Amino acid sequence: MSGLQDMARQSARGLGFLALVALVGGALALAEPRFLSAASLNGIARHMAANGLAALGLTFVVIVRKFDLSISGVAAFTAMSMGAVIAAGAPLWLAVAAGIAIGAVIGLISGTAISRFGLPDIVTTIAVGSICAGLAFLYTGGRSIFQNFFQVGITDLNDARLLGLGVSLWILLAVYAVAWFVMHRTRTGMAFYATGENQVAAHFSGIATRRYIALAYVMCAICTVLAVLLILAESGNAETNKGANLMMPAYAGVFLGAAILGGTSVLATLGGILLITMLLDGFSLMGVPYYYSDGVISLILLAGVLAFSDTARGYLAGLVAVRALRRARSGGKA
Amino acid sequence: MAAPVLMASDVSKRFGPVLALRGVDFHVEPGEVHALLGINGAGKSTFIKILSGIIQKDGGRITVAGAEVTFRTPEDAIRAGIATVQQHPELVPDMSGLDNIFLGRESASRGLFSRIDQRGLERRAEALLARFPVALDLWQEVGRMSAVEREAVAILQAIAGEHTRVLILDEPTSTLTEVEREDLFALMGLLKAQGIAIIYITHQLEEVFAIADSFSVFRGGTCVARMTVAEAKAGDVSLANLMLGEAIGDIFPPRAETPPGAAVLEVEDFCLEGDFRGISLTARKGEILGIFGLVGSGCDEFAKAVFGVTPPDRGTLRLHGQPVSLRSPRQALDAGVFLVPGDRRTEGLVLSRPALFNVPLANLGRAAAGRWGLKRRRMQGDARELTGQVALHPPSLTTPASGFSGGNQQKIVLAKGLYSQADVYIFVEPTVGVDIGARAKIYALMRQLSREAAVIVISSDCDEVHGVADRTLALHKGRQIEPAVGTFSRDALLMAGIMGEVTQ
Ligand SMILES: Nc1ncnc2c1ncn2[C@@H]1O[C@H](COP(=O)(O)OP(=O)(O)OP(=O)(O)O)[C@@H](O)[C@H]1O
Ligand SMILES: [Mg+2]
Repeated sequence: MSGLQDMARQSARGLGFLALVALVGGALALAEPRFLSAASLNGIARHMAANGLAALGLTFVVIVRKFDLSISGVAAFTAMSMGAVIAAGAPLWLAVAAGIAIGAVIGLISGTAISRFGLPDIVTTIAVGSICAGLAFLYTGGRSIFQNFFQVGITDLNDARLLGLGVSLWILLAVYAVAWFVMHRTRTGMAFYATGENQVAAHFSGIATRRYIALAYVMCAICTVLAVLLILAESGNAETNKGANLMMPAYAGVFLGAAILGGTSVLATLGGILLITMLLDGFSLMGVPYYYSDGVISLILLAGVLAFSDTARGYLAGLVAVRALRRARSGGKA
Repeated sequence: MAAPVLMASDVSKRFGPVLALRGVDFHVEPGEVHALLGINGAGKSTFIKILSGIIQKDGGRITVAGAEVTFRTPEDAIRAGIATVQQHPELVPDMSGLDNIFLGRESASRGLFSRIDQRGLERRAEALLARFPVALDLWQEVGRMSAVEREAVAILQAIAGEHTRVLILDEPTSTLTEVEREDLFALMGLLKAQGIAIIYITHQLEEVFAIADSFSVFRGGTCVARMTVAEAKAGDVSLANLMLGEAIGDIFPPRAETPPGAAVLEVEDFCLEGDFRGISLTARKGEILGIFGLVGSGCDEFAKAVFGVTPPDRGTLRLHGQPVSLRSPRQALDAGVFLVPGDRRTEGLVLSRPALFNVPLANLGRAAAGRWGLKRRRMQGDARELTGQVALHPPSLTTPASGFSGGNQQKIVLAKGLYSQADVYIFVEPTVGVDIGARAKIYALMRQLSREAAVIVISSDCDEVHGVADRTLALHKGRQIEPAVGTFSRDALLMAGIMGEVTQ
C-alpha cells in the first residue's frame, strides 16, 4: 500500500466520521428539537469534557493492550478526597494536587502489579477499583460533601467562559492537544504503541516496556481525576457515586472511535467520545431513563465496531455481491 | 505420466495494488516430491495459502484428482486431502503440542459432548512420533517451545490427517536444523512411497537435488519453469539463474584482505546454568566471526546473554577494553551492541507496523529532535535509504511488516540494525527464509559493516557460517569448540557443531 492510498483511506474514514456526526445530530434534532438549543449544546460540551478526559486516560491503557476496570472506583475515591480537602478549607489548587497525587499512586500500584509482577490486568483493576470504592466512604461514611464548594471557586470550572467556549472544554482541548503531540509526534508515543503491539520486540529494541505499561495506568488514573474534577464543578458537591457513569462512555468512546477512524489514537478517542456524548445527552433530553441509555450506548458500540471491522465489511460485501449476481441471473432468464 | 493429483490453471490473486499471482499454471503428480522455488515475494506462500484455503483466489481453476474445487476455509482443503505446514504456522500457544496436533479431531465423533479420549490421543501421538522421530516433549506448552519445536509440531499436525493426498511444506527447513532436516527427508520418503504428493518450498537449492523429483520456479507471480530434476541435471540448469532471471556469481563476498583490527567485544568465561558454560571469544573490527551451532547448542541463548536479555550467571564482557555489564537490551544498545534476533516475527518486528515505524525503533535517540519531538522528515529519509540498502521489496515504508513476504520481513530487521549504528552486530540466523539473491546482498552488507564494526554471525547453517566468516568456532551442547590450530574447514566445522568433536 502506498502512502497516498493510506492517506486516501484515512480521509475516507474521516469523512465517514463527519457524516456520522451529522447523521446522529440530525436524527436527534428531529426527534427532539431542544437538542440544538444553546443550553443543550453547552451541556454536551461540558459532558464531553468530563467523558473525554476519562476516555483519554483509558486510551493510553488500551494502546498498551490492557484494560482498566478501576475507573469508577478511582473516580469515587478521588472525588471524596478532593471534596474532603475542599471542605477542610484548603484552596482549590491544593485539592486538585491532592486528587492527582492520590490518583497517580493508585495508578502506579495497579500498573506496577500488572507490569512488574505480572498480575492479570482485569482482575487487578477490578480489585483496586473495589478497594477504592470502599475507601470513598472513609471520609463521611457516604454522606455528600459540599462545604466550601462555592467559596473555593470550583464551580467556575463549570460556569466560566473563555472566548465563547466553556472553560471545561478548553481544558479538554488543551489536554488532548498535549496528548496528541506526545502519542503521535514523539518517541514516547512510538514506545507506547510498540509496547502494545509487540512487547517482546519492543523490549529487544531497548524500550522499557514495563515502565510504559505502568505509566499508562498512572495516566489513566490522573485523567480520571481531571474528569471527576469537572463533575464536581458541575454538581457543586462530592458524592460516592460521582463517576459511576464515567466508565461505560469511556470504553464506548475509545472503541467506537478506533473502529470508525481505524485504530486506537488520541483523535479517534476524541471523535468517539463526541458521538457518545451526543447520544447520551440526546437520550436524556428525550427522557430515556438512565438505566436504558447505558444499554443503548453499548448496543451502538457493538454495532459500530461490527460495521467498521474489515471482516464484517467483507461479509457484507460478499452478501451484496451474491444478491447482485442472483438478480443479474434471474434478470437474464426473464 | 500419471494423472496429476492437484492441478491449478491461471490462478491469480491481488492484494490491493500488488498483483501477487498472475496466472499461475501448476500441477503435481501422486508420489512426487515437487520443489517450489522463487525469490522472496515471488508469490510462493500466497499460492500455498490459496491451495490450503487460508485466502481465496481471485481467478483461475484448481482441481484435485480431476474434480474442480473451491476452498473457502482451511477445513475445505483438509477435507479434500491437502495438508499444509504454513511458512509461519499458527498454533495455540497455551495448549500443549499434543493438543495442538489433534485440535479439532480429538475424537471420532463430532458432537458437542464427545469425550476426549486422552489415552487414544497419546497412542496416536506415539505412532506419529515413530514416523517422524524428532526429540520433542509433546506435553509442553507450545508457547514455551523454540521455533524448531513449533515447526515440528506443525509438521506432526499436518501428517496426522487420515487421507492426505497432498502435503505442502512452506520452508520447513528454514527453521529446522541439520538433524531434524534428515528426519524430515526420511519422513518425506516414507510419505512419497505411500503415493502422497509433496510440495516443498525451500531457499536451500542443494536440497532440491537431494530430495525432489521435479520443481517449479515462480517469478513475479507466475510459474516460469517446470522440469524434472533429472532434466535439470542433464541440461546443467542453474536454479539461481532461473529464479532471478539473471546470472549470479558467488553469493559470499570475498574474505577480508587486511588483518583484523582492534578487539571490540571480548567475552570471557560466560556461563549460564543449563544453556552454556565457559565461552570466551573476541570479536574484532575488520573481520566476521562465525559461530555454528544447532538448536539446543546454546547459540541463541549466548547471543541473548551478550545482548542483556538474559544476563549470564558468570563471566565478564569487555567493550573496547572496558569491562561492562549489560543487564538489559537498553544497556546493550546504549553500549553499541545490536542483536538481529533469530525469531524475527516475535523478537524483531512490530508486525502491525510499517518499516517507517520498525526501522528507527531500536535507536529512537537518533530519531528524536531534542527531548521531545521527532525528526520525521529525517527519519523517513533514513528509513528509505536503509530499506534500499537491504533491497526491500516492494520498497514501501507504509505497508505493515505483516504484508511483506518472509524474506523481506528479515530485511526490515536488518535495516533496523543499520539504523542503530552499533559497534557490534550479532546476527542470529540472519538469512532464514531469505532468497539467494537477497542473501548475497546481506552477506555483502555484513562485510561492509565489518569495516566499521565487529560482526558476529551465529547460524545453524554450516555453509553460511563457513562461507561468510573469516574465523569460525562451533557451539555444541553449550560448549565452545575451536580448531586446535588454524581455522576450521567446512567439514570440520560441521563435525564440531554436530558431534562436538575436533577432527583435524
Ligand atoms: N497480506 C498481504 N497484504 C499485502 N501484500 C501481501 C500480503 N501477503 C503477501 N503480499 C505480497 O504478495 C507478494 C508475494 O508474497 P509471498 O508471501 O507469496 O512471497 P513468497 O514467494 O512466499 O516469498 P518468501 O520466500 O519471502 O516467503 C509480495 O510482494 C508480498 O508483499
Ligand atoms: Mg513465503
